[in-house]
Amino acid sequence: MLYEAFKLALKAIRRNKLRSFLTVLGIVIGVAAVIAMVTVGNGTTAKVTSEISKLGSNLLFARPGQFGPGRASTTAKSFNARDVTAIEDQVTGLRAVAPLTQSSQTVIFGGESRTSSITGTNAAYLTALDWDIASGRGFLDSDERGGRAVCIIGQTVRSKLFGSTDPLGQSIRVGKISCEVIGTLARKGQSGMGSDQDDVVLMPLRTFQRRIAGNTDVAVVVVSARDGVSTSKVQSDLERLLRERRGIIAGKEDDFTVNDMTQMLETVTGTTTLLTGLLGAVAAVSLLVGGIGIMNIMLVSVTERTREIGIRLAIGALEGQVLTQFLVEATVLSLFGGLAGILLGLGLAFATVTALGVPFVVSPAIIILAFAFSAAIGMIFGYFPARRAAHLDPIEALRHE
Amino acid sequence: MSEAPLIEFRDVAKVYGEGEARVAALDGVSFTIDTGEFVAIMGPSGSGKSTTMNILGCLDTPSSGEYLFAGIPTTTLERAQLTLLRRHMLGFVFQGFNLLARTSAVENVELPLVYRGMEAAERRQRALAALARVGLSGRADHTPSQLSGGQQQRVAIARAIVTDPAVLLADEPTGNLDTRTSAEIMELVTALNREQGITVIMVTHEPDIAAHARRTIRFVDGRIESDEERAEPAHAL
Repeated sequence: MLYEAFKLALKAIRRNKLRSFLTVLGIVIGVAAVIAMVTVGNGTTAKVTSEISKLGSNLLFARPGQFGPGRASTTAKSFNARDVTAIEDQVTGLRAVAPLTQSSQTVIFGGESRTSSITGTNAAYLTALDWDIASGRGFLDSDERGGRAVCIIGQTVRSKLFGSTDPLGQSIRVGKISCEVIGTLARKGQSGMGSDQDDVVLMPLRTFQRRIAGNTDVAVVVVSARDGVSTSKVQSDLERLLRERRGIIAGKEDDFTVNDMTQMLETVTGTTTLLTGLLGAVAAVSLLVGGIGIMNIMLVSVTERTREIGIRLAIGALEGQVLTQFLVEATVLSLFGGLAGILLGLGLAFATVTALGVPFVVSPAIIILAFAFSAAIGMIFGYFPARRAAHLDPIEALRHE
Repeated sequence: MSEAPLIEFRDVAKVYGEGEARVAALDGVSFTIDTGEFVAIMGPSGSGKSTTMNILGCLDTPSSGEYLFAGIPTTTLERAQLTLLRRHMLGFVFQGFNLLARTSAVENVELPLVYRGMEAAERRQRALAALARVGLSGRADHTPSQLSGGQQQRVAIARAIVTDPAVLLADEPTGNLDTRTSAEIMELVTALNREQGITVIMVTHEPDIAAHARRTIRFVDGRIESDEERAEPAHAL
């Protein structure tokens, strides 16, 4: 009986192809939105997670200001080089402490130029991030102390500016200064957020401060704990020291933030979750509208087929059989929409993740959920029209024109 | 049950509306019909013959009185049980044929068997046999719009008899047909009654159509005016 109802449903849907298509469009869009969103979200999360686990969980980042939902203080004063030295001297169990300050500048060599991220830091930065020198050398103490105009370039900068030429010993122009390339960095690829990590020029902090930024600020202090040292202990030591140095009295809130990688990850996934939730709500509205569309068309269909229903009831169809027929029709219609939505959503997601360079992670759970959800929508919104069909008076229905 | 007549109306009344708008479509009607009979129900419009037909077909229920089918009082049955009675015991032929459009003749005939849950192959076989019985063997795959009125009514008759019903209820079966086709349809109905022993109850307002039946019940104003047996029913042309 269910098989017969299924065949009938396909026949009825085929009879009104365009109408059926337009009816399920809401479901298609809703499901596609959910699938695309979740798939892209999964890919991004997977990428960020793998990146962070590659970096190691022993990294801590100290930034001025408070970050988090509803608070972004911009008035907090910056760190400086003396803070970095103090951390090096007074916090135990550290492998590397690196200052970090950045700005975007035009980098020119010969006829080529590009805008890259310029980072002022020290030799410990590469240690903290486990970033190798591909050719040449890293920063020496003398480079850092003297604020010499030397730089280490990422692979993107190297290939864009130098092509096949050896960059070592060449002078490039960074913003208003000229500096000598002393080394190149190993390739790192894209970051979890989609930016090119090889599009960088590193120079000693002091050089950056004096010649580029024109101040003594340090935007971020990157701290790497030694293996076997608890990051939470390092984090609390760091916080105590920074409070002291910044003169924050007991009872007042920090005017800086120290995060470890897990907390950074939480921030990232927190944002993703919020976004997913918002888009999910939009998708839910779309599915609701789609369901109402199905109900509307099924009601039209019941009215159009009143006579047919009358015939069926007269020749021995039980109310339940007529109910089943229309319920199956609504469900099949909705399932078609769901299926089309899943395919469309996966297609969109695939295009998006390819463009972003993140992995294509298909979640079977969400596909099953979308499928079940569209079936449920067909059943819920198909029930009322189906019940109306089943409760028709056969005498009246047979008289209907 | 062997003593009970196939169909018995006991003082059946049907009232529509209330108060001022109250209309008695049937006003205390009693009759019995035995297995194998061929009964014509006649009367002017509004005389209660359609109401009688609807009650006979278990599509409607009496306001008072009792309709017994094979001795079973139908007022004690639920709507679903009435549907099952209709499905197993009754076959319907309508004035307007009432075939499903855009559906082939054989699929139309199969329909009552679908609701019985019969297997597809057996269903098809029985439907084709029923179509052969009404002389439409070569038209199984035609849709109603590809068939003439007479052929459509034959498909409808095939659909009514495919379930081997005890009773064939025909409501103005020739109302939409010309004289010659009407005669052919009546010949078929008469043959089903004589050869298969199907009890036929037919509503008509045409005396020459009613003449095919052995018994004629005449309605006026919701009551039976006359109930006559005919010794020698008319034969088809």
